[in-house]
Amino acid sequence: MSASTRNNGNGGQGGRGSTSRSTRNSVRSVDYATSPLLASKTPPWRSRFVVLLVFLSFLVLLGRAVHLQIIHTDFYQAEGEKRFVHKESLPASRGRILDRNGLALATSVAMPTVQADLKLLKADAAQRKSLAKLLTMPLPELNDRLDGNAGTVVLRRHLEEAVWADIQKLDIKGLQQVREFKRRYAEGEAAAHVVGFTDVYSKGIDGIEKAFNDQLVGHNGQRTVVRDRLGRVIEDVGEQASPVHGNDVMLTIDSKVQFFAWQRLRDAVLLHGAQGGSVVVLDVQTGDILALANYPSYDPAIRATMKSARLRNRALTDIFEPGSTMKPFTAALALEQGPWTPSTRLETAPGHITIGGYTIRDSHAYGSLSVAEVIQKSSNVGTVKMALQMQPRDMWEMYTAIGLGQKPRIDFPGAVTGRLRPFKSWRPVEQATMSYGYGLSASLFQLARAYTVFARDGELIPVSLVRNPENVGLPVVGQRVMSAKTAQQVREMLRLAAGPGGTAPQVQQHTLGFSVGGKTGTTRKLEGKTYSTSKYNAFFVGLAPVSQPRIVVAVMVDHPSKGKYFGGDVAAPVFSQVVQQTLRIMNVAPDMDVKAQINAKPVAAEQESI
Amino acid sequence: MNKLTAILIIALLGSCLALVRSAYESRRVFADLDRAKLEQRRLDAEFRRMDAERQDQATHRRVERVAREKLAMSNPAQGATVFVEDVLPAEATR
Repeated sequence: MSASTRNNGNGGQGGRGSTSRSTRNSVRSVDYATSPLLASKTPPWRSRFVVLLVFLSFLVLLGRAVHLQIIHTDFYQAEGEKRFVHKESLPASRGRILDRNGLALATSVAMPTVQADLKLLKADAAQRKSLAKLLTMPLPELNDRLDGNAGTVVLRRHLEEAVWADIQKLDIKGLQQVREFKRRYAEGEAAAHVVGFTDVYSKGIDGIEKAFNDQLVGHNGQRTVVRDRLGRVIEDVGEQASPVHGNDVMLTIDSKVQFFAWQRLRDAVLLHGAQGGSVVVLDVQTGDILALANYPSYDPAIRATMKSARLRNRALTDIFEPGSTMKPFTAALALEQGPWTPSTRLETAPGHITIGGYTIRDSHAYGSLSVAEVIQKSSNVGTVKMALQMQPRDMWEMYTAIGLGQKPRIDFPGAVTGRLRPFKSWRPVEQATMSYGYGLSASLFQLARAYTVFARDGELIPVSLVRNPENVGLPVVGQRVMSAKTAQQVREMLRLAAGPGGTAPQVQQHTLGFSVGGKTGTTRKLEGKTYSTSKYNAFFVGLAPVSQPRIVVAVMVDHPSKGKYFGGDVAAPVFSQVVQQTLRIMNVAPDMDVKAQINAKPVAAEQESI
Repeated sequence: MNKLTAILIIALLGSCLALVRSAYESRRVFADLDRAKLEQRRLDAEFRRMDAERQDQATHRRVERVAREKLAMSNPAQGATVFVEDVLPAEATR
């Protein structure tokens, strides 16, 4: 107590000093309740200052809140949306490609694509092993992908539905599926060249898929939704764009005709060890292409089969010299101009003729032949004799009128023009060779179309590959090239060529019930600048039934290498099989009585002049 | 005055609850609708897939092979076929 009394004299100056002194002097506890510090008076501004500070800090908080919630709202709103609002894409499917009867040649099907989310992935060794087996992927490769550090890896695209179900049974965490469209091609190899194919992103690369990509392609839609914490969609936000599915394209192809034509062609190509071949089938009443098949072909579903030699649509993109199949047009021009009639006789002995130093030969000397017989037996000399009495200009006009040297009007990528030189540069020998189909070139498709002139009584008709719903069932209007009488007379000659005494005598015999007419062709292949002596192209182009034609069929077999190479031996059998199948499928009534007898003795073919 | 306020407060509370309920209901129904739409899309895709598969099973190649090899069928001989005149318009026989 004595210390405190002593300190009183110090006044306000020394409260702290006295305490420290007393603790230094003794260990006696301090009596706080009576601490002079508490007893001392504080100036009033201090408490006001503190209140002010508290008030100011509240003001700062309020200001910040106003700033965040009223002035700068974007950030938190964006963050909030990120957590609840989701953009969803609505996938649109690509249109289908249909045949004339509505059967799908190409469809898009949504198939599961398996992904692994590597953050969530939990798979033990056994699970990985069975997963590798289901994905048909070697285990080390799978492990490689799963052990990466990227976010999501695609394991396999376009799995079968059943396989995905099996994978789900493995119960691996972190595996997801995404639906992606895959193109399916029902007819596979048989229609591959017409339909074409797409890339992985469903963009058309070849064929109709390419030509009509704009029409087929679908446009994905998009919508914005709000999801709750369970992931359920509870609200649509903003504008929605619905998916626009692609439009279907309907072709004139009949998948049945197409398949059988392709099958027969394939058999013939394999039988004769040929390099390849093509078949074109046209409906002459409507101008529809019923079939357009090539061999070798590829499977649009298997990319490994797509080698460039197989991808080519030979019937449209390959040109060649049409050879003897041109002779009927020379004969037709002769009949048009006169004084030739089908029975006018001309002398083909001694079986060869020399023009400007070149010799043109027949396979053997026929002697005296009528115009009809020249076509029936395919005599080069006879044809040349007719041609030499014509003006080059008239021949050129005829060839141009039937579409040679002109780009075919067809919606298909890569259709070629062929080659027909202007008549002013023709030398006499060239005029002679052109009369039997050398020195000009065309595609098989052009050749088939040219023959519609004979089938349509002198009219060349436009042909189509895509069906236009507006003019289905309407007969097409053609362009007159020759008189109906001439066309009918040539048709009769074609019938003779396909019967006994012609260059393809078995054709009529093997086409039961229907009368057929056609022309063989066998040409040496051009190798560089000279003609090969061992490589040939074999053709047969014809129509059926002769009395009232419904179809034109053109067959080409490229370089048959197993002994037989004449058009009458190699291409003609394909023709008769295709004609019979096609007319049956089209429900055309037979125009000939079928005799049940079987002709055991084959009739020898008239050897064709090459 | 007090009575009126009390009634109004109760009415307000009731209306609030009704609003909450109807908002909840609408979200639930919307979620159901969305699920149904998803199901529709899935079934649609499923239909397309199965249709494609059906066609795969019915290609001309397969039909021809089964008919010839398994069922030992063959084309009727042309002599044994009788053709009848079709009285219907051509469109119907397509």
